[in-house]
Amino acid sequence: MTSWLDYTINGLIVGNVYALVAVGLALIFGVSRLINFAQGSIYLVGAYIGWVAVVELRTPLFITILLVAAASALVGLIIERFGLRPLQNSVRIAPLLATIGISFVLDQIVMLTFSPNPRALPSQLPDIRFQIGGGTIGSLDILIACVGITSALLLFLFLRYSKLGWAIRATAQDRDAAMQMGVDVNRVNQAVFGIAAALGGLSGMLVGMYYNQIDTAMSLQATLKGVVAEVAGGAGNVPGAIAGGLLLGLVESYGVAIFGTSYRNLFAFLLLILVLFLRPNGLFARARQAPPEPLTGTFIAPSRPIRTPRWALVTAFAVFALLPFLPVSSYVLQTLINAWLFAMLALSLTLVAGTLGQVSLGHAALLAIGAYTSALLSLDLSVPVGMAIIGGGLVSAALGTLLISPSFRLRGHYVSIATLAIGEIVSLVILNWEPVTRGPIGISGIPPLSLFGVELVSAASVYWFSFAVMVLLALLQVRLLGSHIGRSFRAIRDDDVAARAYGLSLNRYKALAFIFGGFAAGVSGGIAAHLYSYINHETFNTQQSILALTIVILGGLGNVAGAIVGSVALVGLPEVFRIAAEYRILIYGIALLLLVRFRPQGLLGTI
Amino acid sequence: MSNIDRRTLVKGSLAAIVTAAAASRALAQSSEPVMLGVSGPLTGPNAQYGAQWKQGFDLALDEIHAAGGINGRKLAYAFEDSQSDPRQSVAIAQKFVSDPRIVMELGDFSSPASMAASPIYQRAGLVQFGFTNSHPDFTKGGDFMWSTSVSQADEQPLLARYAVSHLGLKKLAILHLNTDWGRTSRDYFVKAAKDLGAEAVIAEGYIAEERDFRSTLVRVRDANPDGLILISYYSDGALIARQARQVGLKQTICAASSVYSPKFLELGGEAVEDVHLGTRYFPDDPRPEVRKFVSGFKAKYNGQEPDAFNAYSYDAMNMAAAVLKIGGADRRAIRDAFAKVRDVSTVIFGPATFDVESRRVKGAMNAELVVRKGQFTLWDGKPT
Amino acid sequence: MLSLRGLTRRFGGLTAVDRIDLDLARSELVSIIGPNGAGKTTLFNLVTGLDRPDAGQVSLDGQAITGFSPERLADEGIARTFQLGRVFGNLSVMENVLIGAHRRLRAVRPSLPLIGPLLELGLALWRPASVRAEEEQLREEARAILARFGERLLPRIDQPAYSLSYANRRRVEIARALALKPRLLLLDEPTAGMNPTETSEMQALIAELKAEGLTILLIEHKLDMVMRLSDRVIVMDEGQKIAEGAGEDVRNDPKVIEAYLGHGSSQPADERETAA
Repeated sequence: MTSWLDYTINGLIVGNVYALVAVGLALIFGVSRLINFAQGSIYLVGAYIGWVAVVELRTPLFITILLVAAASALVGLIIERFGLRPLQNSVRIAPLLATIGISFVLDQIVMLTFSPNPRALPSQLPDIRFQIGGGTIGSLDILIACVGITSALLLFLFLRYSKLGWAIRATAQDRDAAMQMGVDVNRVNQAVFGIAAALGGLSGMLVGMYYNQIDTAMSLQATLKGVVAEVAGGAGNVPGAIAGGLLLGLVESYGVAIFGTSYRNLFAFLLLILVLFLRPNGLFARARQAPPEPLTGTFIAPSRPIRTPRWALVTAFAVFALLPFLPVSSYVLQTLINAWLFAMLALSLTLVAGTLGQVSLGHAALLAIGAYTSALLSLDLSVPVGMAIIGGGLVSAALGTLLISPSFRLRGHYVSIATLAIGEIVSLVILNWEPVTRGPIGISGIPPLSLFGVELVSAASVYWFSFAVMVLLALLQVRLLGSHIGRSFRAIRDDDVAARAYGLSLNRYKALAFIFGGFAAGVSGGIAAHLYSYINHETFNTQQSILALTIVILGGLGNVAGAIVGSVALVGLPEVFRIAAEYRILIYGIALLLLVRFRPQGLLGTI
Repeated sequence: MSNIDRRTLVKGSLAAIVTAAAASRALAQSSEPVMLGVSGPLTGPNAQYGAQWKQGFDLALDEIHAAGGINGRKLAYAFEDSQSDPRQSVAIAQKFVSDPRIVMELGDFSSPASMAASPIYQRAGLVQFGFTNSHPDFTKGGDFMWSTSVSQADEQPLLARYAVSHLGLKKLAILHLNTDWGRTSRDYFVKAAKDLGAEAVIAEGYIAEERDFRSTLVRVRDANPDGLILISYYSDGALIARQARQVGLKQTICAASSVYSPKFLELGGEAVEDVHLGTRYFPDDPRPEVRKFVSGFKAKYNGQEPDAFNAYSYDAMNMAAAVLKIGGADRRAIRDAFAKVRDVSTVIFGPATFDVESRRVKGAMNAELVVRKGQFTLWDGKPT
Repeated sequence: MLSLRGLTRRFGGLTAVDRIDLDLARSELVSIIGPNGAGKTTLFNLVTGLDRPDAGQVSLDGQAITGFSPERLADEGIARTFQLGRVFGNLSVMENVLIGAHRRLRAVRPSLPLIGPLLELGLALWRPASVRAEEEQLREEARAILARFGERLLPRIDQPAYSLSYANRRRVEIARALALKPRLLLLDEPTAGMNPTETSEMQALIAELKAEGLTILLIEHKLDMVMRLSDRVIVMDEGQKIAEGAGEDVRNDPKVIEAYLGHGSSQPADERETAA
C-alpha cells in the first residue's frame, strides 16, 4: 500500500516539472492564441545558460537564477519581436509554423555551440533529503515546487491587480477591443513572451540540475509534455496549467505502476486525446462557454495559385521519366526515389492540411501503418509484394481515418495537437504490441520490391516504379480536386460554419480526405518497407511529419504540383548540400521561417 | 625550318601529353589515399556517437600512417551524415557504391539505418562493415555484410556470470533500453542468468528520451530484487543509478559495457560509486594494445579518457586497414580478405579473426570493473 | 411555415434570447429589428442549428426541428446568410454558388450509410455520364442565378471570392443561398456596409424573391427598407420581443423608441450605413 503513496509522490514531483513548462505555454496561448512549439527550445537554452553560469562562471545560486531568467526572457523577447510580430496580420497557420521553425533554429544553435554530448549540471543546493513514504524528496524538489507555486501565485496577483496584468487579460479576451481601449498590444505580447520565456528557461535549468544532466534532446520532450499538461489544464488557463502538469505526472506514474515503464508516454498522450475529445476546453473549464463570434479571417492564406502551364508539366514528366536512360549515377536516382516516396506523403498531407485545412502533425503515422501492414502481409501471409503494398494503403486509409476521426470535431490548433499525439501513440503502440509488430526488434527480412513475380533490383526499375505510383496518385488527386468533393474540401477549409449551413457534413468529408490521403501515405510506407528490408518503430517519426509539412507549405497548400516540386527540393537539396551537413537542420529551420514570413502561400500558391 | 614537319610535331606533342597524363595519373593513384566511406550520425539525436567515432578513427589513422599506411598509401575516410535515418543511409549507400574511389563502407550507427542500406551494398558488391549496429540479423543481409560489433550472444553471458556467479546475485531486476539492441541483450541476459541459477524478477524497458525513473524504481523495489542490472548507455545509466540511490534502493548495480565512459562518472557523480560493470577493456588494462590505445587517446585529445564507442571505432579502422593490406583496392578482393585476416590486434577482442559463417568476430575480452572513488577500477573480488 | 415557441438561450448570467415566440407563414416576409446586441443573430443561430437553445421549440411546417444540425436543416431547405458575410474566400464565385446547391446533388452523393461516402468518392473519381450531367445542370442553374445580379457577378464568375468587393461578396452569399432552392431564407443584415445604390439593388432583389413566393426572415437596420419590404416587423431588445405588428405601428411604439434611445448606442435611421 505504501507503494501507492510513493507513486503519487513521484507523480507529483514529475508533474511539478511539467507544470513549470505548461505555465509558460498557457501564458502565451492565453494572450495570442498560439501554441508555442518553441517553448521546449527556450527550456533548453535556459538549461545551457545555467550550465555556463554554474560551471564556467561559478555564480552563486541566486545569481544563476537571475541570469538564466534574464537571458531566457531576452530570447523570448527576440522571438516575439522578430519571429512572431511580423506575422501578426498573417494567417493563423503562420505563427504555428514559425514557432516550429524557431525551435529548430534554437536547438541547432545550442547544439552547434555546445556539442551534442550530454553534460552534468550540478545542483547548487545542499543535498538534504527528506524521507517520505518509501523514498525521499530533496532540496531541489522543494525548490522546483516553490518556484512553480510562487510563479503561479505571482502571476495570478500580477494578472489580477496590476495595470499590465489587466492589459494582458483584456488582450486575451478580445484583442481588437483592447487595442481600441488604448492597450498597447505589442507591449503586452512582449511582456507575456518575456515572462513565459523566463519561466521556461528557469524550468530547464532547474530540471537539468535535478537530473544532473542536460542535452540537446531535452527540447522536444519538454514541448510535448508541456503541451499535454497545458491542454489538460485548459489552454490559456494558468492555474489550470499547474493542475494539468500535476495530473499528467500522476497519470504517467500510475500508468507505469500498473502497466510498466514502456507504457509511460502512451498514457501521457492518451490523456491528451481524452481531454481533447471529451473536454476540449480543459478539465477545469466551465462547460458551455459562449461560442466565439464567427471570424471573418481564414486560416489559410488567400492566394492566386500559379497555374503551371501544360507544356511545363509534360516536359517535366518526360524529363523525369526518361532520366534513368541518361548517364546519371544511381545516387541521383536513389535521391529521387526518396523524393517520390516523400512526394506521396506530401500529396497526402497537402490534401488533408492544404485542401481541407486540417493541419496534421502526425502524418508519418500513416506511413508506419502502411509499412507494417505491407511487411507483415508479405512476411507472415506470403502475399505478393504488389498486393501487400496495396493492402498497406487500404489498412492505412481505414485505420488512419478511424484513429483520427475523434479529432474531426476539433478546430484550428487543436487539430494539430491531436494529430501530433495520435502520431506519437501509433509509434508507441507499434513499440509495445510485440506479438504483432515484434516490438523494438523490428521487422527484418522484408521481401524486396517485386511486381508480378519480377524482382525490381536495379535503381532504375525501383525509380520507375515509385515514379509511376506517385504520378498515378497525383493524377487521381487532381481529379478528386476537380470534382465536387474537392470543392467541398476547400469550402470546409475556408469556412466550416458556412459549409455546414449549406449541407456539407464535416465528418463525412474529413473522413474522405483521410481515406484518400491515408491510402497514398500507406502505399508510400509500404514501398519504403520493401525498399529498406527492415523497419522498426523509429523508422517513421515525428521529424518526417514535420518535414512533410514543410514540403507542403513550400509547394503551396493544396497544390499537387507544388507538393511534388517541394519534395524534390527538400529531399534533393540537402543531398546537394551534404558538405554543410552540420548546418542542414539549421538552414532548414531558417528556410521554414523565411517561407512563413514572406511567402506563406508557398512557391506555387495555395489552391 | 628543321626536319620536323607539322604532322610529326602534332603527333609528337600529343604522344608526350598522353604519356605525361598517364604517368601523372599513375603517380597520383599511388599517392592518392585509399578511401573509406563512413555512413553515420553527425547531426540529429545520435550526433554524439558520430563525434566519438571520429575520435576513434582519427587516432587509429595516426598510428596506421605512422606505420607506413596501406602499402605506402594513406588511408582516409569520407564521413557522410546519415543522422541514423534509413532514408539517408540508403542515399549515401548509392553515393558510395557509385564512387569508384570508395573501397569499403563503415557504419551505420543504428540497425534500421544499417540494414536499410544493406541490399544496396550487397547488390553492388561493396563491403558494409558495421561495428556498432548490433541487430543479430545484420550480417544476414549478404556476404558483403561484416561486423565487429560484439554479439550480445557473446556479451550477455559474460555479464550474467559477473552478476550471478561472481557477485552472487540471485533475484535480478533488469532495466533496459527499449531498442532492438536493448531487447536482444535482455533476452540473452535473462537466459544466461537462468542457466546460472538466477531469476529475473522484473524487466522494465524504457525509451531513450526517458529522464524520470522513479516510478519504475518503485516497481523494481516492490519486486524485491537483490541486484539491479542496467542494459543502458552511459547517460541513461547514470540517471537510473542516481535516482535509484535517491529513492533509497541499496541493491548492487551491475551494468553492461555500454555504460563504460568517463561521461558515466561525470553524469552519475557519487551515485555511481560501487556500480559494477563488465567491459572489454579498462584504463589500467595491461594488454599492450589497450595501453597504446588509451595513452594515444589521452595524448591526442587533451587528457580525455576514451570510452566504449571510441574503442569500437578505433578497432574498426584498424581492422579495415588490416583487411585492405591483404585485399588491395578491389572491392571483391577486399570482401574475400575479411575471411583471410588473422589475429588482428584489437582492444575489444584481443586478437580478432572473423568467423566466416556468421561474418562476425566471436568472443570478446572481458574485464570486471567497479567504480571506486570516482574511477573505473578492476574489481578485486571483494563484495561491495 | 416556421414556428418558434418560447425559444431561450442563456450565456452564463446573460439571457441572449428570452422566450421568443414567432410565427412565419408561407411567402411572408418578416423583419426583425432592434438595437445591437438584442439577440437577433443569436436567434438566427438557434433556428439554423448553429447553436442549441436552452429551452423552447422550433418547428418547420409542423415538423419539430429544434436542435437539428445545420447540415440537416440545409437538407430541409433552410438557407441563411451571415451578418459578417461568410463566403468561401479561395473558391471562385461559381464554386461558391455550387456549394449552395450541394444538398441537391443526387447522382454523385448516394445517401447509403457507411458505404455511401466511399461510393461518393468512387463516383467523383470515375465521373460517369449521370454525374457529369448533374454537374453541368447545376452550373447552368448557377449561371441563371448569377444573372439576376446583372453584370455584377457574371463577369467575375471564375474569380476567387476574396478578390471581390465587399458588396459583391454579399451578393455571392445570396446567390449561394438561392442555389440551395430554399423554402425558407434567413437574411442577416444583407445590406450592412452597402451604399445607397447597392442597398436599393438588394432591396429590389429581395422584393423579387418575395414576389416569387419565397418565405423570408430578415434582420435589418435600415428602417426604410424594412418598411417597404415587410409584411410584419418584430422588434427585439435585450433578448425579448418588445413589439410586433405592421411597420408603421411598430415604428411609433413608445417601447421601441425607448429601446433605441435608451441604449444610446444606436438609432433607427432611414438611411444608415452600418460598419461591418
